[in-house]
Amino acid sequence: MRTRGVISTVGLALVVTAATAAASLAGTARQSATNLRGAGSSFVAPLVAQWQSNYKGASVDYNPIGSGGGIAAITARTVDFGASDAPLSKDEFAACKGCVQIPWALSATSIPYNLDLGRRLKLSGKVLAGIYLGQIKTWNDKRIQALNKGLKLPSTKITPVYRSDNSGTSYNFTDYLSSVNATWKSKIGVGTNAKWPAGIGAPKSNGVAAAVSQTKGAIGYVDVAYAIKNHLPFAAVQNAAGQYILPGNVGIKAAAATVSKVPSSNAISIVNPPSSQRSAYPICTFTYVILPLKTSKAADLRKFVFWALTNGQQYGPRLRFVPIPNKVLGASEKTLKRVHS
Amino acid sequence: MATTSPSLARAAELRRRGRFHPGDAALHGVTLVAALGAVALLALIAWKVVDQARPAMHRFGLHFLVSNTWDPGVHQVFGAAAFIFGTAVTSLGALLIAGPLSIAIALFLTELAPRWLRGPIGTLVEMLAAVPSVVVGLWGILVMGPFVANHLEPWLKHTFGFLPLFGGDPSIFGLLPAILVLTIMITPIVSSVSRELFLGVPQDLKEGALALGTTRWEMIRGVVLPYARSGIAAALILGLGRAVGEAIAVTQVIGGNVAIHWSLFRPGDTLASRIASQYQGATTKLQVGSIAYLATILLVFSLVANVVAQAIVRKVARRQPLIR
Repeated sequence: MRTRGVISTVGLALVVTAATAAASLAGTARQSATNLRGAGSSFVAPLVAQWQSNYKGASVDYNPIGSGGGIAAITARTVDFGASDAPLSKDEFAACKGCVQIPWALSATSIPYNLDLGRRLKLSGKVLAGIYLGQIKTWNDKRIQALNKGLKLPSTKITPVYRSDNSGTSYNFTDYLSSVNATWKSKIGVGTNAKWPAGIGAPKSNGVAAAVSQTKGAIGYVDVAYAIKNHLPFAAVQNAAGQYILPGNVGIKAAAATVSKVPSSNAISIVNPPSSQRSAYPICTFTYVILPLKTSKAADLRKFVFWALTNGQQYGPRLRFVPIPNKVLGASEKTLKRVHS
Repeated sequence: MATTSPSLARAAELRRRGRFHPGDAALHGVTLVAALGAVALLALIAWKVVDQARPAMHRFGLHFLVSNTWDPGVHQVFGAAAFIFGTAVTSLGALLIAGPLSIAIALFLTELAPRWLRGPIGTLVEMLAAVPSVVVGLWGILVMGPFVANHLEPWLKHTFGFLPLFGGDPSIFGLLPAILVLTIMITPIVSSVSRELFLGVPQDLKEGALALGTTRWEMIRGVVLPYARSGIAAALILGLGRAVGEAIAVTQVIGGNVAIHWSLFRPGDTLASRIASQYQGATTKLQVGSIAYLATILLVFSLVANVVAQAIVRKVARRQPLIR
């Protein structure tokens, strides 16, 4: 009986080995054309997946290991390009030795929740900060009720869900909370991770989506494409003009319209845009591709990223990515020209 | 036969002439390189980890071990106390469940199960160890988590709620789901090692005990378990090592929270899980250093656990009347 156990284990190992071998063979076959390897943000992953099938100039591999992982990978030059939703920090720029970041996509962070309400939940930045600070503990709290007149909210406990790994989505979310709440700004601050005062952590966008969908009374934050994919309802969030806006194409476009000039680092924050844009969704973010200035694949990289910035943008709206505004496009193209071999 | 006899004859001739034996030398060389390679690799890993941890060691010193803060945001203050606590609770909890369970499985498979059933069940239990940990973790979120939150934890709370261990609100993320996931991962290891140990108990000892009129349980208690005692201790330590080092599956179900508390329902985090979730993309040198510091603690802990395990095995083996 012992031998039988060994035989079946060996058999399983053989099957796995064969499958891996077949996969790597398929991999080599594809590499006949130029191959660009990238890794990083899971936020932008749905759009990159679309680009992979539409771009004909080269074959593109993309590994959605999270923004932090993407920065680490391009710093170590184990990939040809990295992708991050958070702009590089000073330490990271220095460590990356001659990297540039280029905004190449634009989307929003949605606030999914797990409650049967019959109508969409409305939230404000102050209330969201209160929930994530652990000050607002139940759904029928009068501060939430005040935003949702006529809606019967249950006494269920609120479970805030955050990303346990380092993430650009967390950067976008904490950037927003810092801009609307002074306590958050001074005590916790902006970052790809934080000292979360309340709630539970789940890994990656899919993990947060799963945690929210499995926990009654949970609330989370994920790229809007993940909320839609997981059939999670998400909140309408109040903007500076007092309007309740959904993370749709209109709301994201309006938020991006507030960009007046692009700094030389290309880092742009568009959270909590001014009230002049009445229909702007307040938790939007640019997401960046990170390229080494000097690379042997410069020509192919320039071609691919230029295509992504121009033709590639048309595939965005279906996935709730909005074409980047012209001002930003200009800055992106200018930076892209500096990449050389 | 036909192929072996000429080479045998040649070897014999070489020996007679007292010449150099290339096969032996090669064997010696290859095994020496393999052994030294393993030692060198461990040394290099340890050096690299400690080297990376230097900024955090310099900044926080030994206070890191008792500090219960992890703030990668504005303040950049790090400490390991919560993760050391979480690692201890989850791995000991898993061992507490998996130990008796594994021994029961092994006893059933060697002493009690009908012969035709032993093979299939033994194989299936071993197959459990082949399930990738990320799959176990995913199952933990989607299947086990809801069951734990909706049935197991409410029941525990209702029945044993007076204990602080079972206080708090049921949740799909927390220390208890992590303990259960770890239990699933270490049970195959402990049970298959125990089964081999029980199979090694001499048949005549067992039959002798039965012939003296003992019941099956008395035979197991008096002969099988004492005979395998030191081996079981070693198997449990092996399981503990696996539980302490497991990262991915734990990350998925433990709820990544920095806190020390006695409720098994609430989230926490372990050393390995924190390293897995936050090493990639740590934004400052101090954060990278602090994570490497966690890895150093894990490394030292594994070393100590191994030494202790060997000591236990030696001590128990000496005390044993049945083996000399």
